Amino acid sequence: MAKIRGFELPEDLYYFVEKHVWAKSMGGTLVRVGMDAVAGKLSGGKLNAVTVRAKNIGALIPAGKSVATVESSKYVGPVPAPVAGTLKRANEKLTADPNLAISDPYGEGWIVELEASQWDAEKAGLLTGPDGLAVYKAKLEAENISAE
Amino acid sequence: MDDERIVIMMTSGPDTPRRCATPFFMATLAAAMEYDVTMFFTIDGTLLLKKGMAKTVFPKEGGKSVEEFLNEALEAGVKMTACTASTELHGLTPADLIDGVKMVGGASFWQMTEGAKTVVSF
Repeated sequence: MAKIRGFELPEDLYYFVEKHVWAKSMGGTLVRVGMDAVAGKLSGGKLNAVTVRAKNIGALIPAGKSVATVESSKYVGPVPAPVAGTLKRANEKLTADPNLAISDPYGEGWIVELEASQWDAEKAGLLTGPDGLAVYKAKLEAENISAE
Repeated sequence: MDDERIVIMMTSGPDTPRRCATPFFMATLAAAMEYDVTMFFTIDGTLLLKKGMAKTVFPKEGGKSVEEFLNEALEAGVKMTACTASTELHGLTPADLIDGVKMVGGASFWQMTEGAKTVVSF
């Protein structure tokens, strides 16, 4: 796993860096979505709630639209869909322990799964691999964001 | 879509700082959930929109100012409207208010609420 400015950022994920969200194919076009380590830092620590609107399950979510909201005592904000897709399910573990989205962001703390509409086409717009992370690093440097 | 619209009436002002964080927090949260959110400021709520005022109001001592809560709501896409009559109540002119606030009459509030999914008052 790559470590960039103190953040753990796996090279095999696809990052929507403007919103610090990751996507990963779970096989075919089923795509898992979560917050990355940078989002964890920016949200200010411990999350009190991660909420997915029940009515959105089964609905088509355009890229960039919110699939979930996260709340801490310092922050409230959306988790935007990195690619368009039909929302299949939310991670039920986050109901009992919302902070998993930060404490284990790439494992137990994933947020939703989408059936991506055009995964192969849209993933090209996300950053991945060593080259993608180099771009992400430059962005974090420009914005002076680090884990420390 | 009308069933995605929420209106929040804000009547609390600088005299009750502890009542001045949650309305913005809830508005920001609703916007993050993709609701179309409008805040309508009246009575003392309008004072929070006076230039320079919100940064002097702290819901919690040592915590974030109301200005920070307000800016987060604006950044999330929450629309801010102020009741013209309430500005007169406080001797304010539209020029005294922060940028991004739309002045509206009382009837506009009822128009906003027509068909809105939810109306909340703080």
